[in-house]
Amino acid sequence: MSETKPEFVEAVDIEITVNGKSYQRSVEPRMLLVEFLREELRLTGTHIGCDTSYCGACTIRLDGDAVKSCTLFAVQADGAKVATVEGLATEAGLHPLQKAFSEHHGLQCGYCTPGMLMSASALLDEIPNPSDKDIKKRIAGNVCRCTGYQNIIKSVHAAANELREA
Amino acid sequence: MEMKFDGEFSVAIPRQEAFELLSDPQKFAPLLPTFHSMEMKDEKTANLKVKVGIGRIYGVASTELTLEAAEAPLRAEYVGRGKVMGGAYNMIAAFDLEDAGDETLIRWSGETQIYGKVLSLAGGSMRGYAEAEINRLIGSLQLALSSEAEAAAILAARAAQPQGLWQKLLALLGLWSPPEVPVLASEPEPQEKPALRLLAKPPTRKVLKADEAPSTLGKIAAADSIEMDRKGSESWVGSPLRRKEDSRLVRGNGLFVDDLQTSDMLHLAMVRSPYAHARILSIDVSEAQALPGVITTLTGAEIAAVMEPYMQIGPEPGASIQDYPMAVDKAIYQGEPVVAVIAETPRIAADAAELVEVDYEVLEAVMSVEAAAEDKSILHPGSGTNKVWEGVYEYGDLDAAFAEAAHIVKIDRLHFHRFSSTPLETNGCVASWDNRGEIEFFSTNTFPTIGMQMMAPALGVSIDKIRCRSHDIGGSFGNKITSYPGMTIAALASRKVGGQQVKWIETRNENLLAGGHGGERTFLDTEVALDANGVITAVRSRHLDDCGAFPRYEPLGCVIWSQVLPGSLKVRNLRIDFRQYATNKCPAVPNRGYSRLQHLWFMERVLDICGHQLGIPTDEMRRRNYIDEFPYTTPNGCVYDSGDYHQMLDTAKALIGWDDWKEKQRQAREEGRWLGIGIGTTLDSGTNNFGQAQIVNPDAPFSGNSEVCTLKIDIDGSIVASLGTVPSGQGHETATAQVVADELGLGPDLVHVRPGTDTARNSHTGHSGTYASQFAVTGLGAVHGAAVKLKKEILRLGAHALQAEEEELEFGMGEMGAQLTVPGTEKAIPFMYLANIVNTNNAGLPDELDDVSLNVRYVFRPKFELPDLEKKYGNLTLTYAAQVHIAVVEVDKYTCQPRILGYAVVDDCGKQINPKIVEGQVHGATAHGIGAAIMENYLYDEGGNLMTSSFSDYTPITALNMPDLTCASQESPSPFTFNGAKGCGEGGGAPLHTISAAVQDALVAEGVIVGDTFNSATAIFELLHGKGSRSSVEHQSLAG
Repeated sequence: MSETKPEFVEAVDIEITVNGKSYQRSVEPRMLLVEFLREELRLTGTHIGCDTSYCGACTIRLDGDAVKSCTLFAVQADGAKVATVEGLATEAGLHPLQKAFSEHHGLQCGYCTPGMLMSASALLDEIPNPSDKDIKKRIAGNVCRCTGYQNIIKSVHAAANELREA
Repeated sequence: MEMKFDGEFSVAIPRQEAFELLSDPQKFAPLLPTFHSMEMKDEKTANLKVKVGIGRIYGVASTELTLEAAEAPLRAEYVGRGKVMGGAYNMIAAFDLEDAGDETLIRWSGETQIYGKVLSLAGGSMRGYAEAEINRLIGSLQLALSSEAEAAAILAARAAQPQGLWQKLLALLGLWSPPEVPVLASEPEPQEKPALRLLAKPPTRKVLKADEAPSTLGKIAAADSIEMDRKGSESWVGSPLRRKEDSRLVRGNGLFVDDLQTSDMLHLAMVRSPYAHARILSIDVSEAQALPGVITTLTGAEIAAVMEPYMQIGPEPGASIQDYPMAVDKAIYQGEPVVAVIAETPRIAADAAELVEVDYEVLEAVMSVEAAAEDKSILHPGSGTNKVWEGVYEYGDLDAAFAEAAHIVKIDRLHFHRFSSTPLETNGCVASWDNRGEIEFFSTNTFPTIGMQMMAPALGVSIDKIRCRSHDIGGSFGNKITSYPGMTIAALASRKVGGQQVKWIETRNENLLAGGHGGERTFLDTEVALDANGVITAVRSRHLDDCGAFPRYEPLGCVIWSQVLPGSLKVRNLRIDFRQYATNKCPAVPNRGYSRLQHLWFMERVLDICGHQLGIPTDEMRRRNYIDEFPYTTPNGCVYDSGDYHQMLDTAKALIGWDDWKEKQRQAREEGRWLGIGIGTTLDSGTNNFGQAQIVNPDAPFSGNSEVCTLKIDIDGSIVASLGTVPSGQGHETATAQVVADELGLGPDLVHVRPGTDTARNSHTGHSGTYASQFAVTGLGAVHGAAVKLKKEILRLGAHALQAEEEELEFGMGEMGAQLTVPGTEKAIPFMYLANIVNTNNAGLPDELDDVSLNVRYVFRPKFELPDLEKKYGNLTLTYAAQVHIAVVEVDKYTCQPRILGYAVVDDCGKQINPKIVEGQVHGATAHGIGAAIMENYLYDEGGNLMTSSFSDYTPITALNMPDLTCASQESPSPFTFNGAKGCGEGGGAPLHTISAAVQDALVAEGVIVGDTFNSATAIFELLHGKGSRSSVEHQSLAG
């Protein structure tokens, strides 16, 4: 081992809109988006479960798309609009997905839930009346170790119904 | 208990001089490690004061030490007698002196007898402590006989550590505290203000910025209350309520360990061994320490210098294992921590970990129980063998059963693979060890009271100095019970840096490498006797359990399986020769269905293999063999409380559409397709009797079981419950509120149940935690007991306040919330006023109400007896929930991919407290079992490299792989629990049995035996093509 010390590169200035509010920060280029959300903004609802983009606990919405925030650097989200679980509920109350997950016992420990909700919200924006298969495909990248997925699928259907009737 | 020791050492002084020291009690006694002061009773007898400490009270105890015989210059012999808490001891020590050139050879022998309750408290660790104690005494003698100055210095330095058998013992019991926080010896004092070390760029420090301030304060509203509708149930208990926990969790407002962030928190990253078995030759941390932002590093050698190894639960040979949280001289599994790096951010810590240089000498890795049994390469030099435990469980008359058998079926080898439920949140903690000696953990550990019982004596602190907290935990499934080694490292790191909080969070890769694997078991030489009707009459087998590198919670698994000795079968004659070995793999941890699911899979596999051999259909085999009377006492004395397995099987067959599938299977076979239908019956034994630990180790200080609830009406009238359990998604807050609401006649939304655990709430015992399918019984037993106790106090106080008789009072809801009324009058008093009387307004309260505090603590203890240790007989668990699963599996002929076409589940866990939660547990356990059966495997290569060390390789089941479940429940209330409920959290691993059975049924024409729990496409391909180990079966028909 000789001169392998990591070099600290200058921080990069970024501006990201999260849940409708604009944040300006100077961050290390290597900071992941999930780290930015959790550490810089203290929005700890977005979780880390696998570090390798497999489990989806870190799923957020980036300009509307459901993406895994451990797979992006914060600097890549510069100028983007990010939505996290913290932005789902409004002053009027819980989002229909949040209500449905509780009503149908679509969560147990709650660790995967934020990512699951964000994937499901992207799905319902795109497909308001999803089939079982649509749901399974869209949450196949979100691992849940507690529920066996049965009640999650039920919850997404229930939320879809409520959103369509609204 | 009697212990004998002997040995010899040489000293470089003449024999006469050595004799003079050894034969003079005034000179000899001060060498005792616990020496405090002495008075000579006469020339030969000293009244010694030795130091003991109980909690914060330090004291001295008297011991009488007599020079029994002295023969100059050949021999000196002492007899000692003393008393210690709950026991007494005698000791004889003799020294024989021989000339050996310029030196004197001293041969010594010692005998200690210990009596009384202290033994059962100290358990199997006594011998190890006694040995250490004697070694210390001999060490002192050697020093005293060489250089007085050096000896004095060393003796003085020892004062800060628990010394001597009794202090060790007290430390083990958590009753001893060192006089002050010892300082890590091998490193310089930490920098006074580590934060002052400047980074190339400033560290990320949290300062609230203007854009984070909410634009408005918003309304302060109570969290969403849970529904008040009992949904058709007569009581809150039994109603499928939605959970109180959900309100925060669906908002992303849970508080998981990694969510806890403070501005001066430090971060810990581990350097882990890349080798399964390797000696550590050197460690160079200089480059890592030089990296800006790095505060310090910690090595195994530093840790071993200031702590004792953890207590071993088992007896010899396992008891001699020296278990430290980090590798000291060598690493014995891939991923074992070797160095910890503490830095200002997690990223700097990870960078610095890369800069640590470790030189290893690679040793031969022991990668199977068979190899371990050969003892060619030994993991733990202290124990001298890889064997951790062995014992024979034999019941009934095997010889007679085999002599009378109509059929004998022999199965050479079956194997249960390594997997775990891999909670989505990995292990972690935030630890601090401040300069006042207070240790605090905010952690993921789900059985912290056992973790504290491990850590306190190892760290030499009293247990009350350790506080364990949790809030939300992202799943555990038993895996997080043994996270205490990582917690210990984080605590020591905090101590080294002067008490700052240190956060340790495993990466997923670390979790898969070292976070704990479920136990792996190999079943050899199985012989099964059956009668002419296919009823199994006897089973004998050898079971080899692989506990990985350290036993830790093991060898408890060596007995826990026997809670379900006969599985669901009537067989009365069984002989299981059980052994457990250490291998160079990740340490085993309890995993959902811990130790029982291995055995249940074995019994089910045996049943189905026999059925196939005898040509009896699998459903019919179960009809003939199921236990059908309850309560049922098993051959080893366990009592199956209730159930109806036949009914469950009928229901499961109806759910799956058995006859239709049989027809489809006939067609498929005609088309040459591999379609199989498998049944799995399983048990989920809950509320264990810790007395079974004594079957493994008669000196283990555990028996019975207990759990705690503290329930109070707070100053403002709010009802607050604190539990001893440590939930990780099981809805304890909700179920607790349901029970309290029923008892006190109010709505569950009025009961605040504090999330998570906190030992500072004083609401725990040494059994407290979340494990072994027992919350519905022990947890809610404590809640119910506390509610009843509180209710009595409310009635007494209410009767006084309302000037009425207790019998006249009624609970109900009024304008000011929960209240007591006297029906037919206008008399009413809300809880708020009752709370006011006892808390802030008590003048004039009559003497007879002095004991009323409206703050009660209730300890629930299920009634258990100690098992007969000799016969390994007794009731080991209180409740037996059951599940029957049926799966239809098609194995693709070209890819060998097993595809689940249908899956039915019937469960019976007695009275359901909250059917929604029960359903969730059933679904979850089923998913774990299916994942384990076809997707999840910790696969090591021969060199000990874990081949499945990310979620891309160790592939947890996803929504796409998970079949749709068809479920039904039945309720056979337990006659042994106050509420008829049974534990249901673990599920018993039924899919493992079921999928093995279905794959077997699919491949029956191919003439292969499904002998492994893991049946992925690759595994099935290898099975069909004769690769890897195959099971072979022999069938002797003796009838006629």
